[in-house]
Amino acid sequence: MENFEWGILVVNYLFLAGLSAGAFAISSFATYIGGPHFRRVARIGALVAPWPVAIGVGVLVLDLGRPFAFYNLFLIVQYTSPMSIGSWLLTGFIFLALAYAALWVPAPFDGLLRLPSRVGDLLHYSRWTLLSQNTIRRWRAILAAIGFPISLGVGIYTGILLGAIPSRPFWNTPMVAQLFLFSAMSSGTATVLLITALLGARHEHGYEEERRLLVSTDMVLIVLEIFMIVPFLLHHALSTQSSASSIELILGGEYTGWFWIGVILLGILLPLAIEGYELFPVILKEGAARYSLILSATSAVLVLVGGFVLRFVFVYAGQASHFLPVVTR
Amino acid sequence: MASENKRRWGFVIEVKRCIDCKACMVACEIENAVPLGKHRNWIGKIGPTGTFPILGLKFEPGNCMHCENPPCERVCPTGATYQRDDGIVLVDYDKCIGCRYCMQACPYDARYLHPDGYVDKCTFCVHRLDAGQPPACVETCVGGSRHFGDLNDPNSEVSKLLATRDHYVVYEEAGTQPRIFYIS
Repeated sequence: MENFEWGILVVNYLFLAGLSAGAFAISSFATYIGGPHFRRVARIGALVAPWPVAIGVGVLVLDLGRPFAFYNLFLIVQYTSPMSIGSWLLTGFIFLALAYAALWVPAPFDGLLRLPSRVGDLLHYSRWTLLSQNTIRRWRAILAAIGFPISLGVGIYTGILLGAIPSRPFWNTPMVAQLFLFSAMSSGTATVLLITALLGARHEHGYEEERRLLVSTDMVLIVLEIFMIVPFLLHHALSTQSSASSIELILGGEYTGWFWIGVILLGILLPLAIEGYELFPVILKEGAARYSLILSATSAVLVLVGGFVLRFVFVYAGQASHFLPVVTR
Repeated sequence: MASENKRRWGFVIEVKRCIDCKACMVACEIENAVPLGKHRNWIGKIGPTGTFPILGLKFEPGNCMHCENPPCERVCPTGATYQRDDGIVLVDYDKCIGCRYCMQACPYDARYLHPDGYVDKCTFCVHRLDAGQPPACVETCVGGSRHFGDLNDPNSEVSKLLATRDHYVVYEEAGTQPRIFYIS
């Protein structure tokens, strides 16, 4: 029964798509808040967002039985198929994220942001007019606003893809979609957290506010994940026999170590503790936060590892779960 | 449900008559040129049940259930999996991209990835049906376990069996409304 049709490339794809969605979401959120404090978050999130998902999708196409027939996905919209809706959604998201990233290219390269003002200039790039700062700012805000719900859609799609399958009881709960969404947002935020921590307090002001936005956002997202995992376990345990036996896979079964050590301990509790330690003085209003490169980088890497292992556990355990009774062949 | 005067092909399988000879599997693999190591039909084993010395072992042959409400068709992103008017669920190999989402969605594990990259499964031997012949597995069945016919025709063999014998379907809770009925 356990033939894993979907392997590590699907795990990879679900993780990378989620990461991109999260990076876009935190970037557009920072764009929306605005101000110089959060500009670096907005810029780095925007510059990161298109690439992981593009790589994940590109590699996934090679995992198809007939990679060269992939265009069949785009000849039709199948409303009943999460994968069909997801394909369209991801394609739209990638193009939108690319346009958004272009608007955030940093100083030496922003001179490349030109558009032709007359049809006749189409083929003469040198005659295109430079986008004004106002136009750039306006379009950043517009794409951030349009892209925010789309990025949430991409994040939740990675979970719906699995959750919409009744025949794999481990997947078949709405909590999977929410859990994947929060985990996606968290891994995108962690990526931006990691990069900004590595860059350090290079810009003049707002480092404190930037750290506080990223660390507290990530903490909230991790807590939301916990509030999805608890009902996930409870609902399964209290549900039908097929459902209850499917979570045996992570309660003593084959994926127990991966789930409790990889996802819960490394991916959720440890980064939560580290981020909590960083923010503790601020939460108690007793002084300055204890941000440091080593703490931020560690918590961010742990979140990313946990996010990857989460998808690994779900993709594999889901395929190992089955309606009961399983009839041997 | 389709209108009553339409054909609705289905199987009735008598579990007690199956002797696990696997002639149906061999016939299918020859008839449909199934790649080595893949199977469109199977013989499930139920048991052994009971306590020594009173033991039982039953065989439950199966193939694609050609569900009235097929989850494989629903999740197919390209429309490659489709349902004919007579209820038969087929794969358009040109449209199939081999994403294997249907294989995740099928509770019966009735599908396999063909070495040529598309997903394949039992077709109820449509090419034989359209020529007026029964599926190869039914024709060859040694114990007379497999019966095939029009579920909407009250005079068909399958309808008569279902009218007079207790029967069950596999994973009824999945809501797939499978078109293979088992007489235990």
